[in-house]
Amino acid sequence: MRSLTLGHYLPGDSLLHRMDPRVKLVSLLILITALFVIETFLGFVLFGSFVFLVFLSTRLPWQYFFRGLRPVFFIVLITLVLHFLFTKGGQVYIRWGPLTVEEAGIYLGSFMTLRLMLLVTTTVMITLTTSPIAFADGIEYLLRPFRRIGVPGHEIAMMMTIALRFIPTLMEEGEKIRKAQMARGADFETGNIFRRARNMVPLLVPLFVSAFRRADELAVAMEARCYRGGQGRTRLRELQTRPLDYCGLTTVTAILVFIIVTGV
Amino acid sequence: MRSVLLDLKNVTFDYILEDKQSLRAVNGLSLQVEEGEYIALIGPNGSGKSTLARLLNALIIPLSGEVKVDGYATKVEEHRWEIRRRVGMVFQNPDNQIVATTVQEDVAFGLENLGIETSEILKRITEALDRVGLRAYAEHAPHLLSGGQKQRLAIAGVIAMRPRCLVLDEPTAMLDPRGRKEVLDTIHSMNRQENITVVHITHFMEEALQADRVIVMNRGEIAAMGKPETIFNGSTDLHLLGLEVPPIPRLAEMLRAQGLTIPMNVLGADDLVSYLCSSK
Amino acid sequence: MFIEVKNLSHVYMPGTPFQVNALTEVSLGIERGEFIGVIGETGSGKSTLVQHLNGLLKPTSGEIWIEGRNLWSSKTDLRKLRSRIALLFQYPEHQLFEETVFKDVAFGPRNMGVQGKELEERVRYGLEWVELDYLTYCKRSPFSLSGGEKRRVAMAGILSMYPEAIILDEPTAGMDPVSRKHFLARVKRLHREEKATIIFVTHNMEDIALLAERLFVFAAGKLVLQGRPAEIFQSKETLEAIGLGIPVVTDLMQKIHRKGKMIRTDIFSVEDACREIMRSYREGVG
Repeated sequence: MRSLTLGHYLPGDSLLHRMDPRVKLVSLLILITALFVIETFLGFVLFGSFVFLVFLSTRLPWQYFFRGLRPVFFIVLITLVLHFLFTKGGQVYIRWGPLTVEEAGIYLGSFMTLRLMLLVTTTVMITLTTSPIAFADGIEYLLRPFRRIGVPGHEIAMMMTIALRFIPTLMEEGEKIRKAQMARGADFETGNIFRRARNMVPLLVPLFVSAFRRADELAVAMEARCYRGGQGRTRLRELQTRPLDYCGLTTVTAILVFIIVTGV
Repeated sequence: MRSVLLDLKNVTFDYILEDKQSLRAVNGLSLQVEEGEYIALIGPNGSGKSTLARLLNALIIPLSGEVKVDGYATKVEEHRWEIRRRVGMVFQNPDNQIVATTVQEDVAFGLENLGIETSEILKRITEALDRVGLRAYAEHAPHLLSGGQKQRLAIAGVIAMRPRCLVLDEPTAMLDPRGRKEVLDTIHSMNRQENITVVHITHFMEEALQADRVIVMNRGEIAAMGKPETIFNGSTDLHLLGLEVPPIPRLAEMLRAQGLTIPMNVLGADDLVSYLCSSK
Repeated sequence: MFIEVKNLSHVYMPGTPFQVNALTEVSLGIERGEFIGVIGETGSGKSTLVQHLNGLLKPTSGEIWIEGRNLWSSKTDLRKLRSRIALLFQYPEHQLFEETVFKDVAFGPRNMGVQGKELEERVRYGLEWVELDYLTYCKRSPFSLSGGEKRRVAMAGILSMYPEAIILDEPTAGMDPVSRKHFLARVKRLHREEKATIIFVTHNMEDIALLAERLFVFAAGKLVLQGRPAEIFQSKETLEAIGLGIPVVTDLMQKIHRKGKMIRTDIFSVEDACREIMRSYREGVG
């Protein structure tokens, strides 16, 4: 769990850090679209250079960043190997018993790998520079137009906030229950996967019961503090777009347009 | 003559249990609390203390009878928000009443619900955190605070809404001695300096000694009510109700029974020492 | 020596910005059959200490010896050790998970391989100690019980392991005065009648003064005081500086003593205080 830095916010004051979360979310969507429109390796090189430059400007620590990406790279590697081995077509490069590596496999494999890697890198870069709360605010705002068709934007954002608030509390509690059951001789460490899963019952049942109790009490506490949904609510942090945000948005839009028009 | 802030007339409340039976939690209770009073509410588990607390800010509505806060009746739906901004609640478990991921955001929560403007919210956050001594922690994550600090944060979140009354349901039950003292000092200063009415539910009899008035509840009714010195001087049989008299008044009572002359209003150690050392 | 702690230090999350030195160079010994009080405010290291005594935590440095054997160097069966030195956590009602009270109380002994008649006997024994009627409660769901009953079931779940030593971490937190009194009386009986070693972790001085034979006082991860309650409570200033206090009655006796009266100060209960004050008064009159 601890090595999973994916999406773990690192405070800072770079340009990317200071951008409006709404703009970052929209930009991310535009960049992802762009990634799926790219058709040539040149496109990836250009896109990669852009991401690299932005990364430099964020001054995120290299090691931290890549340590967090390690599990994702592993998945990417598997994709690559699968493509190499099973996508057929074109010239045969390597023949090893019944296995062959062929031209189409190498081409498609590299292509998918690059796309996936750039996708993950871009997303993680944005999540690392945006506080989860700002994200929740951004999502709430962006979903506002969809309220009429029944998308509960405010509720989603509130749920995200509360989840974030209670994750550390529940982790701590889980650890405590684990120890309490170990003190009664419970075993969480040995046995095969099914046995282990069954042994988790003494941990999970109390944790769920506790989570529900907390949810109950929190609901009462929120009501006592005049909570009545998103209607008529003001915010401590009103989101504000600045010239920086428009620059950012213009840049990513330009990238998308450039890719579509030139067909790189 | 101070004005009446909380007015309960013949209030009854039932909980509906799973098997459709009902459990009477509060039974025909009448009570008036004046503006600025400090009330300590004691009683065994299941005596209806927490139910009474929830009745006071319209979290629950009486089955019969009426609860009025500053003239607003809780059973009128349109009054509920007026009532809740006047009566702030603090609960036992410090963790389960903090909503946001930073201290200042949590204080802001109630104000955001009231639709107060951002500039005013900022002003009130600073003010409230100052009053509970958490100004330096504004940007902190709540789960890193101590128990006492979490409870003071809960108080700040309520105080920022400028209530007239604080209802605290065993706010110190889960705290260590230092945390308890921090929270008690905060509650008492709210009462004395801001004239905020306090209804304080507690299991710690010592905490009730400093109240203006002690209310003893049993089986959904008021079993006894009066100044701490009359409740704890032995004339009320607290033991029968599953409560105990704090050590000093209990000792004073035992010494009286042995023939020493000690006034009935002795509650603190220092008072008792001065009587014991001067009478000989 | 039953339990011996030698130069124990424990660091949580070492090498990260969140590093906490929870215990520093703690050494202490506990004899079989003793009633020990471990006191200190939240975060003083007292909970961390007791979790070392049954191998739930591994020392960062230092050693734990149980009956002359080093816990972490010899091949100790940790599960067996945990049934001998049982630990009841704070708010133990939150650990209940089974469908019935019987199954939950049986969880500990069953993990030790106990079955059949003996298992039932142990469950009976546990429930009996916490004064819950076996027939009334064994088939009920633990989640349908009141808070106080739940806590007693959790305590029964520890006793059913027939432990030699019982560590209780803040067992009375949140209890009302009468339940607390009952609970403490039961623990006292367990110590006296079953000769169990009790290690009672608390910040409530009133309770521990009347129960413990010896106290260990912790502050900021260090063992700062140890001795009999009467000795410890002479150091009122030290205790107050670390967020603790002394029993109200003891404080009163010390205040009278300071006014120049010949009076004992090693008194923790209201009854003893009354007797001693009357004795001193009669001497004064006579």
